[in-house]
Amino acid sequence: MDAVNERELVERCRSGDEGAFQELIERYKDLVFALIARTVQDRARAEDLAQEVFLRIHRGLPYFRGEARLSTWIYRIVANVCVHDQTRPSAQAPTVSLDDEKAGARVAPSVADRQFGDLELRDRLEKAIARLPPNYRLLIAAHYLDGVLYEDLAEALGLPLGTVKTQLYRAKQQLRRLLETELK
Amino acid sequence: MFCDEALNAVEPIAAGDVTPDGRIADHLATCPNCAAALDSARRLERMLQARPAPRPGPQFTSRTLARVRRARWRNEQVLDVGFNFAIGAIVLAVVAAVWTVLNRSGLAAVGGDTVNLFGTGMMTMFRRIAPSLPLYGAASAVLASALVLWWWAERGATLSD
Repeated sequence: MDAVNERELVERCRSGDEGAFQELIERYKDLVFALIARTVQDRARAEDLAQEVFLRIHRGLPYFRGEARLSTWIYRIVANVCVHDQTRPSAQAPTVSLDDEKAGARVAPSVADRQFGDLELRDRLEKAIARLPPNYRLLIAAHYLDGVLYEDLAEALGLPLGTVKTQLYRAKQQLRRLLETELK
Repeated sequence: MFCDEALNAVEPIAAGDVTPDGRIADHLATCPNCAAALDSARRLERMLQARPAPRPGPQFTSRTLARVRRARWRNEQVLDVGFNFAIGAIVLAVVAAVWTVLNRSGLAAVGGDTVNLFGTGMMTMFRRIAPSLPLYGAASAVLASALVLWWWAERGATLSD
């Protein structure tokens, strides 16, 4: 979506045009839902949170100054909603510590390395992702969606580009460790 | 010692962000542990790329719009209640201010006398016109009958046109 169309759409939404807001939902719902569903696992909860994101977009549009791209602003809202959701007591799943540098850096190869690609492994992958800390989970969810660049993530999360890359590498190291040890 | 360095480079290499330089490439070619780690990282990368993107249900847009409408309606309700309270408070404040001013300036006493005077005047007037009330009533009845007759005749004329 080019910048001019994006600005027009935002202006129409601001003027109270419900059709324009419907168009905005249609354009971004797949991205928003995929990001959230990959982060929270539970589909019903994901749908609820995705609606919450659009509710916040609707409330926030009058204050959207257009300094960032609309998609970046939406990523930021998704990140806030997901992180906020993970702070609920019922959403607390056992996660791997972010400071577990030693575990991340030393990944011992094993027989399990040879077993990637099947359904069981995919299930293990989802379980391993669910055990990552929320910000790592969001990074993994967003980075592997079509068209989401490191730069988009850095801008949306307010982090330097290098930090985003480093956190992604650490997230993947932890994933490999989980797959090869605890979820073997 | 060199394994640490190579293992740290495994993720960037698997993601395609870094091309292994000569030293690391040589090490990866000779160290089975580090080569296996790179292999594992590449497989994880492929799996993450192939991970399906969940899609929302077909009713997602309509449900979201309904939720947005409900939220907007609730906001408007809150605003309306707030506005009504504000208007009520302003009216009360104005009445209280007027009452205070009237009391402090002594105009309240004058106001009371004015009300009494007006009431007495009204009673006097009523007493004077009371004997003629039947006459006024009859005149009003005649006038009303004439108006009804006129309306009925006009109505008949309109229907016959």
